[in-house]
Amino acid sequence: MKILYSWLKDYLDLNLCAAELEKKFTALGIETAEIKNTGADFEGVHAARIEKIERHPNADKLSLVTLATKDGQRCVVCGAKNLVQGDIVPLARAGARLGKNKLEAAEIRGVVSKGMICSSDELGLTNTRQKGIMVLDKNTPVGQDIAALYGRADIVFDLEIPSNRPDLLSHLGVARELGILLNLPLKQPDYKARQGSGPTLKINLEAGPEGCARYIGRTIKNVKNTQSPPWLSERLAAMGVNPKNALVDITNYILYDIGHPLHAFDADRLESGEINVRWAAEGEAFTGLDGINRVLTAQTLVIADGKKPVALAGVLGGRADSIGQDTKNVFLEAAWFWPPAINKTAKKIGISTEASQRFERGVDIESCAKAMELATKLITEICGGEISQVNDVYPAKYHPAVINFKPADIAKILGMDIGEERLKQIFTQLAAKFEIQGDNWVFTAPSYRRDLTHKWDLAEEAARYNGLDNLAAGEIRSTQAALYFAENPKSVDIGERLAGNLVSLGFFECRNFDFVSLKDINTFGFDAKNTPEIKNPLAEGMQFMRPALLVSLLKNIEYNQRQSRADLSLFEYGKTFALHKGYPQESCTIAGAATGLTPRTKFFGAAQNPVDFYYIKGAVEFLLEGFGNIALKSSANAPVFMHPKICMDIIIEGKICGVLGKIHPLAAKAYDIKTDVWAFEFAVKPLERQFDAQKFKAARDVNIYPSSRRDLSVLIDKTVKFENVRAVIAQAAPAAVCALVDLYQGAGVPENKKSITLRFEFSAPDRTLTDKEINAQVETVLSSLQNRLGAALR
Amino acid sequence: MTEELKTKLEKLDTEYSQKIAACADSAALQDLQVAVLGRKGALTELLKNLKDMPLEDKKIFGPLSNDLKNKLTAAFEARQSALETAQINAELSKTDMDLTLPARTFDKGRRHPLSVAQKRMTDILARMGFVWADGPFIEDEEHNFDLLNIPKNHPARDVQDTFFIKNTQKQDFVLRTHTSGVQVRTMKKQNPPIRIIAPGRVYRSDSIDATHSPVFHQIEGLYVDKNISLADLKRDLTVFMQGLFGKGAQVRFRPSFFPFTEPSVEVDVSCVFCAGQNAACGVCKGTGWKEMLGAGIVHPNVLRNCGIDPEEYSGYAFGMGMERLAMFSLNIKDIRAFYENDARVLEQF
Repeated sequence: MKILYSWLKDYLDLNLCAAELEKKFTALGIETAEIKNTGADFEGVHAARIEKIERHPNADKLSLVTLATKDGQRCVVCGAKNLVQGDIVPLARAGARLGKNKLEAAEIRGVVSKGMICSSDELGLTNTRQKGIMVLDKNTPVGQDIAALYGRADIVFDLEIPSNRPDLLSHLGVARELGILLNLPLKQPDYKARQGSGPTLKINLEAGPEGCARYIGRTIKNVKNTQSPPWLSERLAAMGVNPKNALVDITNYILYDIGHPLHAFDADRLESGEINVRWAAEGEAFTGLDGINRVLTAQTLVIADGKKPVALAGVLGGRADSIGQDTKNVFLEAAWFWPPAINKTAKKIGISTEASQRFERGVDIESCAKAMELATKLITEICGGEISQVNDVYPAKYHPAVINFKPADIAKILGMDIGEERLKQIFTQLAAKFEIQGDNWVFTAPSYRRDLTHKWDLAEEAARYNGLDNLAAGEIRSTQAALYFAENPKSVDIGERLAGNLVSLGFFECRNFDFVSLKDINTFGFDAKNTPEIKNPLAEGMQFMRPALLVSLLKNIEYNQRQSRADLSLFEYGKTFALHKGYPQESCTIAGAATGLTPRTKFFGAAQNPVDFYYIKGAVEFLLEGFGNIALKSSANAPVFMHPKICMDIIIEGKICGVLGKIHPLAAKAYDIKTDVWAFEFAVKPLERQFDAQKFKAARDVNIYPSSRRDLSVLIDKTVKFENVRAVIAQAAPAAVCALVDLYQGAGVPENKKSITLRFEFSAPDRTLTDKEINAQVETVLSSLQNRLGAALR
Repeated sequence: MTEELKTKLEKLDTEYSQKIAACADSAALQDLQVAVLGRKGALTELLKNLKDMPLEDKKIFGPLSNDLKNKLTAAFEARQSALETAQINAELSKTDMDLTLPARTFDKGRRHPLSVAQKRMTDILARMGFVWADGPFIEDEEHNFDLLNIPKNHPARDVQDTFFIKNTQKQDFVLRTHTSGVQVRTMKKQNPPIRIIAPGRVYRSDSIDATHSPVFHQIEGLYVDKNISLADLKRDLTVFMQGLFGKGAQVRFRPSFFPFTEPSVEVDVSCVFCAGQNAACGVCKGTGWKEMLGAGIVHPNVLRNCGIDPEEYSGYAFGMGMERLAMFSLNIKDIRAFYENDARVLEQF
């Protein structure tokens, strides 16, 4: 909303500079987008034509310029470089005023200069800044008063009005607000009711109060629609509105002045002497002031004469009945439309006007009459005419909120005592009516502040008008300490631990949007029907909530590979989404993906290991270390996005919660990844019980008796899986610690066999084991391997 | 007899003390030790005579020869140690290593900058007595809007601002537009006093540019108890901002409007980069203040909607964008940097 400084002065005795005023707006909660100086702050500057340019006899860089002026030729000294014979330029003569400076004739290097050719800077016309002297339009007549071209000097504030404060969409409203803050009296405009004679049109509110709650009409006959006087057209121009003719300009002026949109009809073009506010009939035709033909639906509220719609209520006038230069008789409308009705109409039509924006947010129902009287006053003053009586149809009077409260309530909400005197001052200025009945204060809200309904609203207003800067931070109270104990959500603590583990392995954490495409869903083998879908996605490809985090991590790998980053170990901790019986389901999930070389200690010349299956498996084991009841098993049915043979299920408390292994080459290809990617993803909720159990794990005593080490190499069928070997050993020597130290196939080992070397550590908690005991255990292990897996000692 | 032996001992002493002192290598020193103290060594041979001596002589000769044995043993040890030290020193002086070669570098993993920022914030708030609460990302309209006093026709409920889920069957769901739904969920199941934070993801249907992202993170704070006022809010936010930006941080309130708070305020923090001293400061644009978050006193309707009597209890609430705070404190200029996951950016935090 543009606000003119000079216009505010109609209402308040303001003597703040623009910067101070901006601070006041900030304090009120109104942001200033821009402050601009407009108009001409100079006098006595006229257009002149350059006739002759000569060198100054005593100075190389100066010229002697002869100009044709409104009263003959004149010679001035000028230092500008852009002088061109025939150009029209602004000439300030001795005696002219430029801002605060008065120009006097001067002798410059021995030549008397009888004036000054001005630059736009010197005239303070920053909007038209040119280098050197200002060159005017070629058609500007010599002698034209330049100030008249630019209007009076003023300051324009472009304010961002909060959405809940439609009452501030006018100069009156902003002045009223400042008045309370600054404790300045408001000068009210002249709303005096004028008695007219004779009737106006009959008014029928067919749409009821949920369309129009008040409608005032008045006819003014025999007007002479002229050009607006300069004070009016200049203000409209400064607001960015092109002045048209006095009748139209006056309605626009009142909109910006007191915030009430009015509409003027050419009364002679209205048919059958009545006005009806009704919902449009389906298919009814209407041509607006903008010249566009529209077919209306029942969702549009219209003003109709006896036959046809003549305006879209509160949104747009009709062309057929619009005011023209030749309008003789005018019918003036000041109405209050129900905001949702105007919102619906404007949305349906797809336009937004200064009027609709105000009606949508809510104008003051009591200002209908004031706007009507103000318009009547201006029209009769400027265009003459004879006024009719008003027809004020106002079936259900608006009752403003009455708030009963105690001054202590305000102090309690704010945590500060503003002081009763200042509170009284604020509420007296703000209220429609303010009474003190002993301890009880009674505040009647003004009709333009429908947002004030209870004491919390009044607390806010008190704090605001008193200056929020004056609110001190409260004292520290004893309740500052913890009020009660509550655990973090488990997902937070588990996530922190898992993320910490992955970071210690060298993984980078990523955070991705949750949005994925149908193609992503299909590539990963999920069902779109069971995936939450966004009705209004930002773009094609961002409409599904991701069912797996790996979708995003594959995209991250592709992105980083394009930045020439080959070695990547990435993870994300976030939610995956699904639909279950029509309800959305969210699952906290952790996923990691790695490609290239493993993160580790790097040194020039030293080799680094490539990421492989056993690396990612190790990462998962590391992650889950300490959580009991976890198993990794080769997947019987690997998900679509995983390699069918290189995939293991992550089993927590007997339930499959995720997978680890190699990304399916086709999935990698779908994301333009040409390298092998090793990955894992699993739901973390199943870890919750284990996470808690682990907090109270008892420490294990360190064995003080020495252990003995034995290596055992056996030949075994190639097809035997290591987990079988481990199972046999676990049974044969449950107390021994066993590690695989070598796995060999090739020369010296039969084709269908492999050689495995196992290292055992034997110990007992209560004594040092004897060689005999140890040998017996080794023998047991060996015979079990021989009997159950067909192994042979090598 | 005694005198003769005495002379022999003195001779041995002189001879071997000199030899030990002159010996320059470890092996020769060993031989020398065997030659005098070994089983057939010169001193050992002399001692063999001891058992045949008269008791008087034994009394004199015994201690003398033992003293010499101890003396020589100590001399051998000292010489041995000196020779070893000399050898080590000789080797050390030969060492010529380039200490300026690049070190072995450790590929450290990294948390995401938002996780780093989030942890800083939640740690401070936890110390201030706030406990962590959470809620669903896909939220029903009741918790995201209705109970928060956001009426059906409010522009925030428009497709311009909110993502709607289309294929749920039972109810209307949206991607939560703020973390405030967690306030409602908590107040519905817990009586005051309540003091929670709810950090997490939120979604707005904004197009992506340097300062807007359709996915971003907020931290919600809520404190409901008897007599909680706007001044309490100012105190706690000041404490929080000082924790985040240092003891000098100041907080400024400006009036604002949110449907779920009354009074509502916009909260500015004094610029940590220029403290208001640099008119050309790129961060605060010379104003000395940076807008950080929205806050206010919980609207009585919201309390009532959750079954809390606004005449008995009051509360404050605040909601801040984590990205905004992270951008401010880490000087990240483009919000998109958080979601590109470029390793060259991630490795900086």
